[in-house]
Amino acid sequence: MSKERKRHVIPGEVITSGPYRAEQNTIQVGDNIVSTIVGLSDVHDGSVRVIPLTGGYVPKDDDLVIGKIVSHSSLSWTADINSCYVGMLPASDVFGRDYSSSSDDMNSKLTKGDLIAARIVNADMTRDPLITISGRELGKIDSGELVKISPNKVPRLIGKRGSMIQLIESSTNSQVTIGQNGLLVVSSEDPNGLLKAIQAIELIEEQAHVANLTDQVNEMLESKSE
Amino acid sequence: MGGRDTDIVLLDENGIRCDGRKVNETRKVTIKAGVLKNANGSAYIEFGDNKILVGVYGPRDVHPKHMSDTDTGILRCRYHMAPFSVGERKNPAPSRREVEISKVIKEALEPAVMLKEFPRTAVDVFMEVLQADGGTRCAALTGASVALADAGIPMRDLVAGCAAGKAADAVILDVNNEEDQAGQADLPIGYMPNLKKITLLQLDGVLTPEEYKQCIEIGIDGCNQVYEIQKKALQDKFFASGEKQ
Amino acid sequence: MSDGLVIDQLKKNQILDLLKEGKRVDGRQFDEPRKLTIDIGVIPKAEGSARARLGDTEVVAGVKVQPERPFPDTGDKGMLICTAEILPIAHPSAETGPPQPPVVELARVTDRGIRESGMLDMKQLVLEKDKSVIGVFCDNAVTDHDGNLFDACSYASTAAINACKIPKYEMQDDAPVKIEGEFTEPPITTLPVSVTMAKIGDFIVVDPTIEEWGIMDARITITTNSDGNVVALQKGGSDGFTQEELIKCSEMSIKVGSKIREIIKQSK
Repeated sequence: MSKERKRHVIPGEVITSGPYRAEQNTIQVGDNIVSTIVGLSDVHDGSVRVIPLTGGYVPKDDDLVIGKIVSHSSLSWTADINSCYVGMLPASDVFGRDYSSSSDDMNSKLTKGDLIAARIVNADMTRDPLITISGRELGKIDSGELVKISPNKVPRLIGKRGSMIQLIESSTNSQVTIGQNGLLVVSSEDPNGLLKAIQAIELIEEQAHVANLTDQVNEMLESKSE
Repeated sequence: MGGRDTDIVLLDENGIRCDGRKVNETRKVTIKAGVLKNANGSAYIEFGDNKILVGVYGPRDVHPKHMSDTDTGILRCRYHMAPFSVGERKNPAPSRREVEISKVIKEALEPAVMLKEFPRTAVDVFMEVLQADGGTRCAALTGASVALADAGIPMRDLVAGCAAGKAADAVILDVNNEEDQAGQADLPIGYMPNLKKITLLQLDGVLTPEEYKQCIEIGIDGCNQVYEIQKKALQDKFFASGEKQ
Repeated sequence: MSDGLVIDQLKKNQILDLLKEGKRVDGRQFDEPRKLTIDIGVIPKAEGSARARLGDTEVVAGVKVQPERPFPDTGDKGMLICTAEILPIAHPSAETGPPQPPVVELARVTDRGIRESGMLDMKQLVLEKDKSVIGVFCDNAVTDHDGNLFDACSYASTAAINACKIPKYEMQDDAPVKIEGEFTEPPITTLPVSVTMAKIGDFIVVDPTIEEWGIMDARITITTNSDGNVVALQKGGSDGFTQEELIKCSEMSIKVGSKIREIIKQSK
């Protein structure tokens, strides 16, 4: 199967016809594979999908996300994961199974407003997605500023092989933890560096579709004296 | 439908309408996508002298909870006219006409939006008419589709709106305010251009079976023209030149 | 729209820490309002209109002029009524349905600011004493909410009324008849401008953003006219102001107000 060029598509537009599998953000209408969103069509190995340029975050299994604890019951914490669904973190994830925790216990580990790096465990939409913080590089985030961008700008922020985010981190002396859900935590010892890093991120969000973005970011990071 | 006596010549001997158009011409339509900061999706549409601002929020939590559906997201629509949008100032409270139009537009969009992927949520579409000049429901529907696409709500197709009608015994496309007041029929249409299905259809006035057929045909043609403008609005926002592929 | 948006203690502490260093979240000075742009005539079919953008807050004001029966006790004066509505497109928490107290307050404060200033000489808006007068309605629609709707509505209303056209009417058989295509300038006497200040801890900041609004302890809206006189006041929020603070606020509102007034004048 030949690989077709990526194309801009809008909802209802026919991407291709023939024996292809309709995957993310596409549907089959008769012989045609049709896009359901605004995005870039990608025909690949007999399947068709559309990479979104719009929309909020839809939880997917194994995604690394940043969450903000909003409340808890005796059995779990609820986290805002920048989606129309909240993330559910079971108490057993932190305390181990068969441990019945009190409210004090719960608050001692995670309390309202805490930021966490978590992974989506089960994104079955009939109930709120389950998340976990037990794992390498997961857990409570102690310091840093929470920044929100559109989830589909995340790949642009990371850049080819991480080049864009590394550029920002090194020139501003900061560390950025990126969630697939568009939530990021930026931390730095240097408050000016922190501000610059955040401004660079905002620039990328605004100008993600522009070709010379890397130049713009470079220019922005180099300007402004300390 | 007025059918009022008027001094305005609705159609002259050269087939030119009161605003200079030919019988099968729509008014000028422009649409801009993504005009509001807070809304998840938005669009501003000018359809002739109609000026309508649409904002979309969602998928989002439903309150009160009993209104949500465990199997699918729900669509809610509100069509509302600003007090300064019409000739004589309108009371800000929703009128029965606005309630009906809200429902009709919702049912025009429902066949297109795919909300099964978002159970227990709602997608809210708010259409604000800032200036009205006949055909606001078709213009609002057109803007709503663009705002929904801007918000990333998955859709089978866009829905384009345009009205056909009859004035001075002729079948015309895109009825303006004077034609609505003094004409003989007004037939608003909502149409999915790729799936080729009509999802909004109403009639105010009297048409012979032949005129009815002609109105539908000319109306669909109008909707297809409007669809090109919808496409352009989304392309202008998301696929601007200088874009990296 | 809940007046007290839930902003957590963490955010409040961050903002206070910045204020202690003399800084605001968006880099403005304490007495600096956000960028204001005013476009008039955005609704050409209305008798007057203006769109005010104060930072990311946006309000569209439309002016409708039509003949009305006068109020029973003021048969020698025209009518001026201002309203305000937060459209559901403006913010995720904006509700439809009957207006909640914060929206009612917004509408009434906007109305008082314009009316009490005497912006329009109502005595010149009479067609026939005790029978028919000219009614001027200025309706504000908030289309995008990023804080400080009081000032945005004030600027949109003042600009729209300042740039409106009053149709000419003729009394025929005791009823007012509009003469198509003929208009007069509105009888403007002054340009009222409101300035809203938020008190956060011991600090007072002009033109709060939605974040500052969410954590403020109290607020005051002061409306001044072209002579620099105070024509309307509204204090809100659950804390209080000291006497000194109130004097400082009035001075700021006159200073900032006069700059805003220039922008409104330029817009016509």
